[in-house]
Amino acid sequence: MSNTTALTTEKKSIWGGGKSPFSVSYGKLMMWIFLLSDAFTFSSLLVAYGFVRHTYPSPVKNELIKPMQHLEEGFVEQMQHVGYFTDDKWPLPELVFNHFPFIHGMHLPLFFVSLMTFILIFSSVTMVLAVEAGHRMAKKEVATYMIWTILGGLAFLGCQAWEWTTFITEGARLDSNPFGPMAFAALFFIVTGFHGFHVFSGVVLNVIIYLNVLKGTYEKRGHYEMVEKVGLYWHFVDLVWVFVFTFFYLI
Amino acid sequence: MENHEHLEHTETPKDMKSKIWKTFWILTALTIIDIGLYFVLLENHSLAKNALFILLGIVKAYYIVSIFMHMKFEAKWLVNFIIYPMLFVVFLIALMLIESTFTASIR
Repeated sequence: MSNTTALTTEKKSIWGGGKSPFSVSYGKLMMWIFLLSDAFTFSSLLVAYGFVRHTYPSPVKNELIKPMQHLEEGFVEQMQHVGYFTDDKWPLPELVFNHFPFIHGMHLPLFFVSLMTFILIFSSVTMVLAVEAGHRMAKKEVATYMIWTILGGLAFLGCQAWEWTTFITEGARLDSNPFGPMAFAALFFIVTGFHGFHVFSGVVLNVIIYLNVLKGTYEKRGHYEMVEKVGLYWHFVDLVWVFVFTFFYLI
Repeated sequence: MENHEHLEHTETPKDMKSKIWKTFWILTALTIIDIGLYFVLLENHSLAKNALFILLGIVKAYYIVSIFMHMKFEAKWLVNFIIYPMLFVVFLIALMLIESTFTASIR
């Protein structure tokens, strides 16, 4: 009996008004709701990728080229000729994304995209360190970590621009694809493009926050919660990349 | 005007900085394991391999959400409010797996 009364009074105190049952501010709760809806969008895109990928037979075993080996001129045509890249087979990601800036003519599968992953993880760390510094009201530290986060975001965007340029130069388009099924290139552009646009928006938000930190807006306000809110968004972008990386490059 | 307004929030642990760096090393290690496994299992095209990579992705997601996004220290109601709707995605994946298996069989 006493147990039930304790339970009802506790319930009342959570939903009884006067305080948020979620114990976060309005802005942070709204950011979480936005991220949930964004998670649904990205899930749909990745499930669409999984769907199309699953309707094609698995890629053929690669017995022609090993990592670090010399890449010949006309590699794509050669792969088409031996039947590795055909319209009815999903290509092996290893054979498609195998370039690295400034290193020509070498088969370097997955090296570049791994670098991009590490850049994004690192910028996530500097972001959360900025949030942590904000809790201590350390204005200078917040500014420093924000700069590193912005640089990480820009580096990632630069990498993606290079990746797209290489892919397009090799003949990939939204409606045609020398590596295999048309959907492979189309989904690649749509999903990484949508993610890249999120990174771009994140960088813009980070710059605004950085300028506000310098201006002392949050110092005056008495808290750095805005850094936390944008931080949530930035970590979400990193989170999505984990799955884009898994689906597009690993599976 | 907004001077020192009251903010509702849950406690952040005192050793947050070391937790952040620990998470960073875990994420880095998991990514390296991912890449290593990719080359070790290059000739394996089983569903189990895909499941393994997705599982590693989910582990990484757990660390990002719980530590970086601070969810481990949030109120229980907020956690449930965000996590349970993701079951819709699990449902979608299950449906689309069945559908795509059928589409593959008539292709």
